[in-house]
Amino acid sequence: MEYTIEVFLDDYRIGKLKGTPVESQIDAVFGGELKVVRVKVGEEIKGEVLKAFESARIDSRACITDTPVAFKRAVFDEIVKQKSLGEEVVKAVLARIDEIKELAAKESEYLPAPEIETE
Amino acid sequence: MSELYFKRPMPHGGKLVERVITDKKIAKKYVDVCKKSCPVYEIKPTLHYKRGVPVRNVYREIMSVCYGFFSPVEGSMTSAELESVLSKRRLLSGWVFPYPILFDISREDYQRLGVSEGDRLLITLKGKPFAILDIEEIYEIDPEELANRTFGSPETNPEVVREKFDDKHPGWVIYRSHQPIILAGKYTIINEPVFKPPFDRFWCPPRKCREEFEKRGWRTAIAHQTRNVPHVGHEHLMKNAAYTGDVEPCHGILVNAIIGVKRRGDYPDEAILEAHEAVNKYGYIKPERHMVTFTLWDMRYGNPLESLLHGIIRQNMGCTHHMFGRDHAAVGEYYDPFATQILWLKGIPSYGFDKPVNLVEGGLVIRPQNMREFWYCPVCKEMVYSETCGHTKEKQKLSGSLIRGLIAEGVQPPTIIMRPEVFRVVVKWWKKFNYPFVNEKYVMMKEEELEVDVPDLD
Ligand SMILES: [Zn+2]
Repeated sequence: MEYTIEVFLDDYRIGKLKGTPVESQIDAVFGGELKVVRVKVGEEIKGEVLKAFESARIDSRACITDTPVAFKRAVFDEIVKQKSLGEEVVKAVLARIDEIKELAAKESEYLPAPEIETE
Repeated sequence: MSELYFKRPMPHGGKLVERVITDKKIAKKYVDVCKKSCPVYEIKPTLHYKRGVPVRNVYREIMSVCYGFFSPVEGSMTSAELESVLSKRRLLSGWVFPYPILFDISREDYQRLGVSEGDRLLITLKGKPFAILDIEEIYEIDPEELANRTFGSPETNPEVVREKFDDKHPGWVIYRSHQPIILAGKYTIINEPVFKPPFDRFWCPPRKCREEFEKRGWRTAIAHQTRNVPHVGHEHLMKNAAYTGDVEPCHGILVNAIIGVKRRGDYPDEAILEAHEAVNKYGYIKPERHMVTFTLWDMRYGNPLESLLHGIIRQNMGCTHHMFGRDHAAVGEYYDPFATQILWLKGIPSYGFDKPVNLVEGGLVIRPQNMREFWYCPVCKEMVYSETCGHTKEKQKLSGSLIRGLIAEGVQPPTIIMRPEVFRVVVKWWKKFNYPFVNEKYVMMKEEELEVDVPDLD
């Protein structure tokens, strides 16, 4: 069976995907307003993600949800690096899972703010 | 004919309570006398009875009582008044009031103070004189019984209570964490605290708020309760609910945020206030028609009971209408999601309301505007009211958890979900607190520093 990891995109993230093969695979919800890319993974990778994060679950659409922010950010960074939505993206993230788990543990204390202009 | 035009409602109980001495000379005299002859008590935060973290600060209740938000309540309740509130949700005077308001101290503090009935207590905040309490009665409570009776149970309130209240309910925890000795009597603020930014811009007690309505020519105003930064669904609720009124839509929308100890995962108070302000500052609702204020209160999350308090506060502020939605001031599954609307449309006999709140004796004058939900419809291509749009299959709900998920990831939500200026406010405070939501660190910092400083009286 195939599972999905949804990665939501804002303009900043879309900019990072400009000119890559991933750009043509950007999808949209909320009447086209919210952009999303979907990484597909198989049984084995799904199992590893669930094992890594206690909070993670599979919803009714076979999406892997409730993963830590650090994991979701790492998946996006890896998409940019590999210019792909294939399973190898998640494999690369899982390769440095200890580092991500460490970041995830600090998430109740600290989350990095996006770099946008504020007053 | 005259019934066509709604009048600004009277304060609940008929008269606005104002127990603040603003003349510095008189205040100084009080303090000088008190310092010589009164026992002194420094306010401490109420700590969670198990975990020891702050869950409430009684200073917020003293402020809300003395500035008239809770009119006609004038102080800490006597045992007879407490019994009346718990059994009938009525003050001894017969006016509706949902919650115990109490000045509680520990047995050790009681012994140390050596106070008795008839004494005056000088209450200090951050080490400075703040208020006095004229003690009419001293009695003991059982905090667990107080907590249980305040909220009720599935057995005693079967109309709307679904689950037994327990230590996962923040309001129950607040009453369970009360100290056992109650000093009952009227409060008087003798030294006005000064609000720190950004709270200072939004502080508008009932008398001032009524004057502001008068100045703006608002005959009708609808209140919006909030403890959240507004997403576009909230904005549409405000705009559409405001179409009610008398012969024309409500002249004004009064946003009144509840400021106090928050749950983990809520947004910081500073972000809530400035995000609502951004809605009018950037024209989504004209500033002439929209005003942002707050009330100090450590939220009890009592759904229908909390809605009564909200009605009282906003009637005192001068509003003619109050919007109520699904899960009003709710947490978890303790109540029926529409318990508040049941109370205002039919009544809840077990809480003392055999008729709707506006029809019982001692009830409220403020009119409820009971609203269902708003969601995005991709067919209509707009935010729609759940009872209007027929494309129910296509609906896309703006869930708070979807938005929080986007924000936590640092992804700016699309403008159809959250206005960019609102998001910028969230990020502004995120940078300040290193976190977009309330966490343990924020609660500890906030409860240490509070929203106010207390000036020297000299
Ligand atoms: Zn529609």
